[in-house]
Amino acid sequence: MSIVEVRGLTKKYPSFELKAASFDVEKGRITGFIGRNGAGKSTTIKSMLNLVHPDGGTVCYFGKPLTGNETEAKKRVGYSTGAVNWYQRKKIRDIVNVVKRFYDTWDEAAYRKYLELFGLDETKTPLELSEGMKVKFNLLIALSHKAEVLILDEPTSGLDPFSRNELLDVFTELKKDGVAVFFSTHIISDIEKCADDIVYISKGKIIAAMPQADFIARHSAPGETLEETMLRLEKE
Amino acid sequence: MLNILLKEIKLSASPLAFLFIAFGLMFLLPGYPVLCSAFFVTLGLFQSFQYAREANDTVFSALLPIAKKDVVKGRFLFTCFIELSGFVLMAVCAVLRMTVFVSAAPYVNNALMNANLFALAGALVIFALFNLIFVCGFYKTAYKLGKPFVTYIIAAFLTVGVFEAAHHVPGLEAVNAFGTERFGLQLITLAAGMAVYAGGTALAYAGACARFEKIDL
Repeated sequence: MSIVEVRGLTKKYPSFELKAASFDVEKGRITGFIGRNGAGKSTTIKSMLNLVHPDGGTVCYFGKPLTGNETEAKKRVGYSTGAVNWYQRKKIRDIVNVVKRFYDTWDEAAYRKYLELFGLDETKTPLELSEGMKVKFNLLIALSHKAEVLILDEPTSGLDPFSRNELLDVFTELKKDGVAVFFSTHIISDIEKCADDIVYISKGKIIAAMPQADFIARHSAPGETLEETMLRLEKE
Repeated sequence: MLNILLKEIKLSASPLAFLFIAFGLMFLLPGYPVLCSAFFVTLGLFQSFQYAREANDTVFSALLPIAKKDVVKGRFLFTCFIELSGFVLMAVCAVLRMTVFVSAAPYVNNALMNANLFALAGALVIFALFNLIFVCGFYKTAYKLGKPFVTYIIAAFLTVGVFEAAHHVPGLEAVNAFGTERFGLQLITLAAGMAVYAGGTALAYAGACARFEKIDL
């Protein structure tokens, strides 16, 4: 079941163009959005959230277009630009006390559970957190308001291999609870490790949007790893 | 609406915005251009805009389940809250000067503008200019503060000058009335100031929403 439907999303900048991006994000599946730096991953994600204005195309959440249903859709979506880069000197507790008022679905028990699971101290400020912990703080907010889909822009960038692994394990756990995870990355091993589906973007154009197994069957040469396939496709 | 205002107060606001409300007390100063107090109140608000920008509040607000125009609404609610708090303080001071201290020598011999209802109208005009020029101007980029603030400063001090000069213009002496003299005229000028503030703020809000909607974050 598609939770997010992206159809013909276009955005033109003087030096870059997102060309009619179309793909789905399915319930209870992890979708890896892969492409090299500057391929259009962040533009696509920001367009999906109305942070930038697409020139064309539609984005539907839970069967309803984002336009006109922005507040309702955002209550069911968890979004992160990777690390926390806002209110660096405010305590986590103070930030959360403000944020939770916006969600009818805020679950204090879930908040406490993930706070402990992620090892976050709510008396700390984002400035005092490592990059990995900042990503977890973003996830903590999303999970505490019971987001049904997580849209994460390069959540694993800048993390050490251990933290990356931990984060990917969290994604796998969330998937079991029916949460859809859509995350962009340029680290192919992250995709290999946990993604059910792949959306591959190159120079602003979606090259493939399909289950990982189908992608490998269609594009990989015998004995070729996903990383080798991607590198070859990029060269072509 | 309450949530977004609370977000502004608890996270985005600079403490100076609250502290500078106290400049409303300058309405008690004799021999001083009292309308400068309105400017100082807005100076605290400017600090808040600067603080919120440095804290990357726009990205934070984008995370919240609110429409883009509600981000602007929150900032306007906070701005009006501070301005009207300052205004209440100025009004209390003006009423004291118009009643209890109406015969006090420092006020009677005051060479500058008297603190009456006309002066309160002037404060509202300055607040309206802040909302129209600075706040609406800021939302053209949601980043650049300098140009709209400098433009506002020029407009604000020209307005102070015009209001201060008004009672020296032949035929307009009545605007500097003491106590409850020419009370009808004073009330009319205050009502006009209120209309300018309400209209200017509504116009500024609509303009800021339209501008912010067009910005790619």
